[in-house]
Formats: sequence, C-alpha cells, structure tokens
Amino acid sequence: MRGGSIYIERSSGLHWLHPLTKVALTALCFASAAALPGLPWLLALFVGLLLPLAIWGRLTGAFLKACLLVVGPFVLSLTIIQGFFSGGETVLFKLGRFAFTQEGLLAGLTFAARLLVALGGTLLLMQSTPQPHLMQALTERGFPPRIAYVVLTAIQIFPSFQDRAQVIMDAQQARGLELQSGLLNRARLLLPMVGPLILGSVMDVSERAMALEARAFSSPARKTSLNTLADSLLQRAVRWLLALAAAALLLWRLWSALQ
Amino acid sequence: MNLRVEGVSFRYPSGVLALDGIDLAIPSGQLLAILGENGAGKTTLVKLFNGLLRPSQGKVYIGDWDSAEHTTAALARRVGFLFQNPDDQLFERTLAREVGYGPRNLGASEAEVKRRVARALKLVGLHDMAEAHPYDLPQPQRKLLALAATIAMDTPILVLDEPTIGQDEVGRGAISRILTDLHRMGRTLIMISHDMDFCAEHAQRMLVMLNGKIHVEGTTEDVMGQTKKLDEAEVAPPQLVRLAQALKMPGTPLTVDDFVDEYKQWRKKKKSK
Ligand SMILES: Nc1ncnc2c1ncn2[C@@H]1O[C@H](COP(=O)(O)OP(=O)(O)OP(=O)(O)O)[C@@H](O)[C@H]1O
Ligand SMILES: [Mg+2]
Repeated sequence: MRGGSIYIERSSGLHWLHPLTKVALTALCFASAAALPGLPWLLALFVGLLLPLAIWGRLTGAFLKACLLVVGPFVLSLTIIQGFFSGGETVLFKLGRFAFTQEGLLAGLTFAARLLVALGGTLLLMQSTPQPHLMQALTERGFPPRIAYVVLTAIQIFPSFQDRAQVIMDAQQARGLELQSGLLNRARLLLPMVGPLILGSVMDVSERAMALEARAFSSPARKTSLNTLADSLLQRAVRWLLALAAAALLLWRLWSALQ
Repeated sequence: MNLRVEGVSFRYPSGVLALDGIDLAIPSGQLLAILGENGAGKTTLVKLFNGLLRPSQGKVYIGDWDSAEHTTAALARRVGFLFQNPDDQLFERTLAREVGYGPRNLGASEAEVKRRVARALKLVGLHDMAEAHPYDLPQPQRKLLALAATIAMDTPILVLDEPTIGQDEVGRGAISRILTDLHRMGRTLIMISHDMDFCAEHAQRMLVMLNGKIHVEGTTEDVMGQTKKLDEAEVAPPQLVRLAQALKMPGTPLTVDDFVDEYKQWRKKKKSK
C-alpha cells in the first residue's frame, strides 16, 4: 500500500504529542540539515536527538529501516560522484585517470548526512502521526488547506519513496534475489532505481492530489472535524522554542555565508 | 507440491488485524481460487506463502519447508508470485531481461534462461516485443508480462493475484490456456480473483474470505451453491448459477455446457410429471 501506510500505531509519548509540535521539530531538522556546518554536527543531532525520540516513540526498528532504505542508495551515489569529481588533495586511490579523494568522500558523506537528518525529522512526524490528524492540525490553525496540502505533499515524498523502494525489493526477492548480503549490496541494487523511484513517488503524490481535488478538497466551504487534538501550554512553548531555534540556525548560516 | 497454513494470524504494523486464525491445507496439484470483498485479507494471506510477510502467529509450510526458516529468495524456488499490481513487479529495461531475471537469480544457465524467456513470452503472446521497454506496454499487457516473468521461474507452486483484471477476451483466453496447461502439468495453483465466471470455470476448490477469516470453503460447486454464505461475504455467484437458481433448477452449473445439459434434464423431468 502506498503512502499513508507509513503511520505506525503505538502508544507512546511521541504519538500523543500535538501534530504541530512534531511539525516544528521537523522544521528544525530541515533547518539543521541546511545549516549545520559539518558531518560531526549532523551525526550528533541524529544520534543525540532523533534516535532517542524514535526510541521514545517505540519506533526504533521501523525508523532505522526507513532511514536505511531511503538514504542508502544516496550515500553510495553521492560518495562516488563527490569522491571522484569534487577534487581535493588527498588521493585515496585511482581508477584510470580519475582520482578518488578524501575531501570528495567527506563531501559526499556530509551531503548524505544532511539528507539523513531531514529525512529523520520527517519520519518521526509521519510514523507517529496519522495523516488526517496532521491535516486537521494545520487547517485548524488557519493554514489554507491548499498550503497545508503542499506541506504534507512535500514531507510525503520521502515516505512514498520508501514505499516504492520496499515494493521493488519485494518483487526482486520474490524472484529469487537474496537481500541478506548487507547494507552496501542493498544500496547497490537500489541504485539503478533512483530514477524510477523519484518518478514513481512524484506520480503517486500527484495522483493523490488529483484524487483529493476530485473530492472537492479545495472547496471554500468550512469543513467540520470529528475529533479534537490534545494540546498543552508546555507544548506550545516547546513549539515556539523549536521554531525559534530553526529560524536562528538559518539566520546564523546566512550571516556566516555573507561574512 | 502441497502447502499448509496452521493457526496463522497477521497484524500490520499500523494495527490492522488482516488475518485472524487461518487453517488451510492445499494439496499438490490443486487449482484453488480465493475470493472475498476488498480488504478481506486475500493478498495478505498469499504474501505469507513466499515470505513477503511473516505470520504474527502460526506456521506456514511449503512442501516440507517451514517458511520461517527460509528467506523469500529461497522460497522463490518453490513459489512463483504474480503481484496484484504489475507495476510493483517490473523493474528491468526490456521484456526479455524482465522475464529472464528470475531464472538467472535461481542459477539457470544462459542457454536455459534464453529458452525459458522465449517460451514464457510466447505463452502470453508478447514474443514479438522481447526488446521493448516494459513501460511501453499498456497496463493489461504489463500484467501479462508479469505473468510471463512468474511462469519462467518454473516453480511447483504459483500464486496469481488477480490475473485477469483489466484483460480483454484475448488476454483472458491466453490466461485461461496457461492455467489449464500448468494445471495439467501438476502445478499447485492459487489464484485470487473477483472474476467469478473465470473462477467458476477453472477452480477445483474455492475459499471465500471475510474480515481476515475463512468464511466458506469447499469444491467449487459446493461453494457456489451456498447463496447465503456468499451473500454474507459480498460475493456474487456467476450469472449462470444465479440464472439456475432463479429458475429453481437443482444443481450448480458452472459452464454453459453444464447449464444446457442440466436444463434439458430438468425440463424433461418437469414435463414427465
Ligand atoms: N501495507 C499495509 N499496511 C497496513 N494495512 C494494510 C496493508 N496492506 C493491507 N492492509 C489492510 O489489511 C487488510 C487486508 O488487506 P488485503 O490487501 O490483504 O485485502 P485483499 O483481500 O487483498 O483486498 P483487495 O481485494 O482490495 O485486493 C485491509 O484492511 C487493508 O486495509
Ligand atoms: Mg489484494
């Protein structure tokens, strides 16, 4: 099943958080992915914040698996491309005329880590929040449904990507391909699929957009919702803090780029 | 090769209990149809047969193998699997590579792969397009291609999820011939379908699912006759059976020929009364 199926039912604190609190967290992750200066920072954020949150949400296995499935193919392609083509002094090995440099390797890994942090934030939100709740939370705060939908669509590209990767791997296994042979091998197998994957995911998402439109999604009439979402003063405060931190990170980054 | 399911339940991570206490034995060489409304759990059930899903509870045996002890790739030697949506299954650049993918993984020699590809494409009538890209075919043809890729695995058990969906008469005819052939060769065939006429014509045995449970099962004639049970599961018997019932004829004719025979006998009896 595509999209939507990414939500994982658990009773955990993370699941009980108001969707907007988690949105703020995701925003912070995106800001960090863009702004943090280097690999150690990015990995520290992943291990120090995202992973504990996943454990708190009792999602550890699913969370790590999804990260691997989506970021895996990119790690490999990015390190190869960057390693060979972004130049640098320290040559690690040569393949014909092409030199693979340590600087390039680092650049590739850093880029993959940025992806990992952005994806991690998205996954925490999507795996612990039923999609209708998220939509409701956004529109309740006066988000025009159209914009709420764009936000949702953007964050769903990753999960939808994961669904497709899983589907293709299922099909390959069903026809006799052993997938036990480690992480690198998995990534290698998925590599030729990056193109069809992106295409397929975009198609999925746009199909859903059309389906929604066909059901008068953007009708101006006020919609009624059946349940209310629990919120608290503490959560509001945390939300603002997270949003401020995200904004501060981006500003700092901009400022240091201008120096 | 036979197949056994013992006390199996399955719950998706999202919390849906999709299978609830299933016991089932499918003898070697049987052609079984699985029916049931959308969401009844049909696809979930058959995904246990090649290990794509693992039971939350209970056991699945493929021949003498406990499926829990084998990977999906290993089970692929015994169970061929046609996915409900062909686009979930196709990932190669040409039809020939797509069909050859499975046999190659199972370690067939290049000559053998070639032979199987040619035969399977011929069976579904796509042999003229061996070098085309799978996505250049319209959806119904893609399903036939996926079927060819499944057949080329040469497995003793085949699972076909909605083989006839979207097919025109030509496609259905091809699938019908293929099923009949495979059945004659002694393969165990498990087919999920909403196509009642097709099931009635081909299946020896039927299994109707409802809410993750087996609602009725038995020989095709037997199941098709159980109007009330079928109603409960939102499954409509084929037109011929309904016609026979409307006429209050005895018996459950599954093919036009059967119907004509039974109709004649019934008329004779009525007249002689
Ligand atoms: N990947 C998934 N994650 C969560 N729930 C799922 C998933 N796939 C199926 N389900 C749910 O499990 C139940 C059984 O689904 P299943 O796909 O086995 O039904 P089906 O009988 O094959 O239906 P159809 O005729 O529509 O193909 C349904 O309630 C469905 O919503
Ligand atoms: Mg199904």
